Amino acid sequence: MNAIIFSVIGGVVMMFTGIITQQKKAIRNVAIIALIILLLANIFDTYGILSIHIGTHGMLNFQKFGLYFNTLAYAATLLFILISGADVTQIGEGKHAAEFFALIFFSLSGIAIITSYNSLLLLFLGIEIMSIPLYILTGGDKRNLKSNEASLKYFLMGSFSTGILLMGIALMYGAHGGFEISAMKPSAVSNEYGILDPLGLVLVFIAIAFKVSAAPFHFWTPDVYDGSPSVFTSFMATIIKAAGFIAFIRLFDNKYVELGLSWRIILPLVIIATLLVGNITAIFQQSVKRMMAYSSIAQAGFMLFAVFAENDMAKEGILIYTVAYSVATIGIFAVLEKMEDISLAGYNGLAKKHPLLAATNTIFLLSLTGIPLTAGFFAKYYMLLSVIKYGGSTVTWLVIVAVIFAAISAYYYFRVIQAMYFKTGNPEVRSYNKGFCFMLVILAAITILIGIFPTIILNWFYF
Amino acid sequence: MTGLYTLLQINQLNNTAENYFPIGVQIIFAIGFVATMIGLSALVGPKRKTSDKLENFSSGIASHGNARQPMAVKYFLIAILFVLFDVEVIFFYPYAVNFKFLGWAGFWEIVLFVVLFLIGFIYIIKKGALQWED
Amino acid sequence: MSQLVYLVPLLPLAGFLINGLLRKSLSKQAVSIIGCGVILIAFLISLGLFFQVKANGPIIQTYFNFIDIKGLNIPFSFQVDALSVLFMLIITGVGFLIHVYSTSYMHEESTPHFARYFSFLNLFVFSMLLLVMGGNYLILFLGWEGVGLCSYLLIGYWFKNTDYNYAAKKAFIMNRIGDVGFLLGIFWLVAKLGTLTYGNVFAAAGNLSAVDVTGITILLFIGATGKSAQIPLYTWLPDAMAGPTPVSALIHAATMVTAGVYMIARSNILYSMSAVTENVIAIIGIATVLLAATIAIKQNDIKKVLAYSTVSQLGYMFLGLGVGAYNGAVFHVMTHAFFKALLFLGAGSVIHAMGNEQDIRKMGGLRKYMPVTHITFLLGCLAISGIPPFSGFFSKDEILAAAYAKNPVLWVLGVAGAALTAFYMFRLYATTFLGSFRGTHDQEHHLHESPAAITLPLIALAILSVIGGWIGIPAVMIPDANAFHHFLQPVITTEAIAEMPHATEWLLMVVSVAVAVIAILIALGKFTKRPELNEPQGLGGFLAHKWYIDELYDAVIVNPLNALAGFFKNIIEKSGIDGIVNGVGRFILYSSRQVRLVQSGQVGSYILFMVLAIIVLVLIWINDGYIYTYLSKIF
Repeated sequence: MNAIIFSVIGGVVMMFTGIITQQKKAIRNVAIIALIILLLANIFDTYGILSIHIGTHGMLNFQKFGLYFNTLAYAATLLFILISGADVTQIGEGKHAAEFFALIFFSLSGIAIITSYNSLLLLFLGIEIMSIPLYILTGGDKRNLKSNEASLKYFLMGSFSTGILLMGIALMYGAHGGFEISAMKPSAVSNEYGILDPLGLVLVFIAIAFKVSAAPFHFWTPDVYDGSPSVFTSFMATIIKAAGFIAFIRLFDNKYVELGLSWRIILPLVIIATLLVGNITAIFQQSVKRMMAYSSIAQAGFMLFAVFAENDMAKEGILIYTVAYSVATIGIFAVLEKMEDISLAGYNGLAKKHPLLAATNTIFLLSLTGIPLTAGFFAKYYMLLSVIKYGGSTVTWLVIVAVIFAAISAYYYFRVIQAMYFKTGNPEVRSYNKGFCFMLVILAAITILIGIFPTIILNWFYF
Repeated sequence: MTGLYTLLQINQLNNTAENYFPIGVQIIFAIGFVATMIGLSALVGPKRKTSDKLENFSSGIASHGNARQPMAVKYFLIAILFVLFDVEVIFFYPYAVNFKFLGWAGFWEIVLFVVLFLIGFIYIIKKGALQWED
Repeated sequence: MSQLVYLVPLLPLAGFLINGLLRKSLSKQAVSIIGCGVILIAFLISLGLFFQVKANGPIIQTYFNFIDIKGLNIPFSFQVDALSVLFMLIITGVGFLIHVYSTSYMHEESTPHFARYFSFLNLFVFSMLLLVMGGNYLILFLGWEGVGLCSYLLIGYWFKNTDYNYAAKKAFIMNRIGDVGFLLGIFWLVAKLGTLTYGNVFAAAGNLSAVDVTGITILLFIGATGKSAQIPLYTWLPDAMAGPTPVSALIHAATMVTAGVYMIARSNILYSMSAVTENVIAIIGIATVLLAATIAIKQNDIKKVLAYSTVSQLGYMFLGLGVGAYNGAVFHVMTHAFFKALLFLGAGSVIHAMGNEQDIRKMGGLRKYMPVTHITFLLGCLAISGIPPFSGFFSKDEILAAAYAKNPVLWVLGVAGAALTAFYMFRLYATTFLGSFRGTHDQEHHLHESPAAITLPLIALAILSVIGGWIGIPAVMIPDANAFHHFLQPVITTEAIAEMPHATEWLLMVVSVAVAVIAILIALGKFTKRPELNEPQGLGGFLAHKWYIDELYDAVIVNPLNALAGFFKNIIEKSGIDGIVNGVGRFILYSSRQVRLVQSGQVGSYILFMVLAIIVLVLIWINDGYIYTYLSKIF
């Protein structure tokens, strides 16, 4: 409960900070302090210290897994604000810095609800609380037409998925006579609910698949990620997307331990479609930002394996994947934010002029590719292993397909590395300070550290 | 009467194409009826073709200007805010009905609810959203 | 003493590392002392081990688990028993003499190359020791590959000469062909018995079926034909004479080429179980004897003659193995090591004196210029020709006697081979040392006896060539005097040669010696005054061209393979594989370009696609049973 309360308070505090002061640096510092408090409050809550309890009549169910995910998400947000906070304050002529932070906090409170929901109503509320601030953040650059267009598209399509989600919830309510997922029995086991329950579940699945941009519900992703300010793309593509997977995992967790036949067809289909669309389309992109949008679709394909496998290993895997993917993507977007020209050609010869940027960026890209000794390798490794544990030899083909797509992904990630190191050019880079370099090194260090000791994250989980 | 009864009987017995015959008859009848009526009224009714018939009007007064004129965004802002606070009031109705049953706990919760809205209200005023003149 | 076993191979390895790594900084003298010293110490330890083995039986030392996986444990162990200690003595003893010889012979090389030569030579000794000391087939195989590598490196020692490199490659590839067979044999053993340790393999050999035994032994024998230059894989050995002469003496006469004999003698329990394999070995052995001997008759390069003689003598050893005379074969390995090393070193001495001239038609009358070389070479020739009481007589006689017991035809062919041997050896001797000098005036001016570092090993080997056979005197002459048989008794347990009447055995000996003497006399009479200087014609030309075997191999195997490789490279690789690989890349790029177009930016079309997808998913969900059935039918 701490996470929800403190994130809402944090949001309100940020709102009024914007009224009290217009100093960007002060706003940013307040945000960082509020986030640290939020992070600590959640960590305390995880281990049962100083936790606030409010009766929710079983609508929320706090489990260690969800709380621990909150910690990781907030820590990632902290890293994000530390490295990109200054850029957040610049967006939209710099008039709304405090509001942006407030919206991020509200979004975080949505995440806190998603990671702990037990009632489908709260799933709906959580997803909406998480998403609506994002619609605004996407349009944060008010005078930029692309930003406006992205915002409107996101909102339109988001409402569409909300409708589907509500429809699904309604059907499931019809079947079970209640919203609590912990009270629902697997329909695969007993067929007493008829068509309502599975159909409802399909619709809820589709709505969440939309949020995590799984194909074929990914269409909003490239346009929105491309149009919105880069810093917010970074936030949306990492922390928000990972939260969507937690919604999935909680939905399928104890309810559908033995997934029915239809899920064994639908899920692989969605996974392969996601990998296919993400990877294949990313290859041809000339803009690094748009390429990263497709890359995030491709990565979602990998994270969907956790939903498919739905075992302990998958849960551990999604935690590692969250950290690995978030850290690397935040880093890449932080560098991207400093580039004047975000097309591939804009990166030409970066290694000569800004070796640190190029080197850390390379580490992040390698991590996304899944090269050993980076966090991304273990993230993918856990995902595939969890599927093997779940399905054994019957899913080998799926793993092979995934590995092939991982190989394809190397093509477009390495194109950036190639541009930075092996092409000559005159990249124009905005000024950056020592603190930025320091944060980049920290992010790279985390990537490599987890790449060597992936259990660091998991040890905390079981602590 | 007997014929219709027989049809119904067949319908219950087995599910073949011929059993849809009555439905088909009904559909054809419905479409035919509608088409006939429209056709008849078009043929029989009086017709006066003047440009005046195509004019927009309201309550017999001729319109002037285009309805799709740009308006100040403030209108929308205030309208949205009005809806927001108006909806808040709706939540008081169920509370009022259960006022006694919920007791003090319910009271503090509704206070929290109102405080949250007040915070929003203060924020709106401080931000100058309700200032009509810039 | 037994705890020093590991030092025997380790010392040459240390020598290899020191000489190899410090070749730029060590002086020639230091290199010589290190190179020869490590071998000498290894020899002394081997000698100590010899007496211990003689007194206390075999030593088996296990150091660590080399390969330890489920169901297969191969330890890194050394087995020093009668057979291996004998080979160790030959390797380190003859090896030491050849090292000493090399210090003088290779003295004209520049210092780094001199050190390189000695490091390779030490590495060779190390590998060869590993081969004979290994306690299982895998260690043997490690050494087997190691000597193959060293042979390649030393044949191509003068790497600036393309022909020499070609010869080195030929040797390596020929050996690899044999190695494939050897490896397959090892795999078969592992598959059937699950162990490679000698003791366990031989103890469990009785469980093998007849097919298994024949298959394994034939495959191992294929390995031996490569390493020991037997038909059909012998053609690399004559070309291997491209290496420095001491290398030819050590590797291609005394030690490496006898590795196959060692391996088969070591596995005598397996081989004696398969009559088929024994017959194959005997036939290939005698065929090699005759083929190589006939070729040797018409060769004019002094080292080529000796090379073919080596092939021919190796044929005798395999004949011995094939007829079950394992003792005789190993005995012949030993005597052959003495006299063939002697002959090669003598030839080296001649070549050295002649200023790197190898053609015997340009020599002649060297007797008076090089007395020590002459005498020792003559002793070597007598030994190889099987004249009593020289060493070659005893070993060859033992093999021929066993061959007669098996099948008199083998004996007749063997004696014919012996006659040819005597003939070509004395043709070589007469053309080189007798008559008058036929070289240039300049060469004659420089003719001189070689220095002590060359002559001393010659003398030592000459003495061994004379008396070396006396440890294996047949029972016919002096009963119970065969110390050699007695010593090898624990290892070679399966020798079963039919007893013959003493009169028959005496008769066989007399006939073979008489035939050899007649051949010697003919050769001396024919070539002393009028040596063969013209290019041979007709049958002689056929023999001089080595039966056109190399050309045959080129035509039948090499050229078709080259053509096939060209086909693969130009057609399959370029158009096929490259096409597929690049095609995949192009296809993905193309599909990327197409898939991109779906992302039109129109919210309406996006939502349309999503609705369609929802409908499809729901349809799949409703019909999951059918779809699953069809899918499981397809896959």
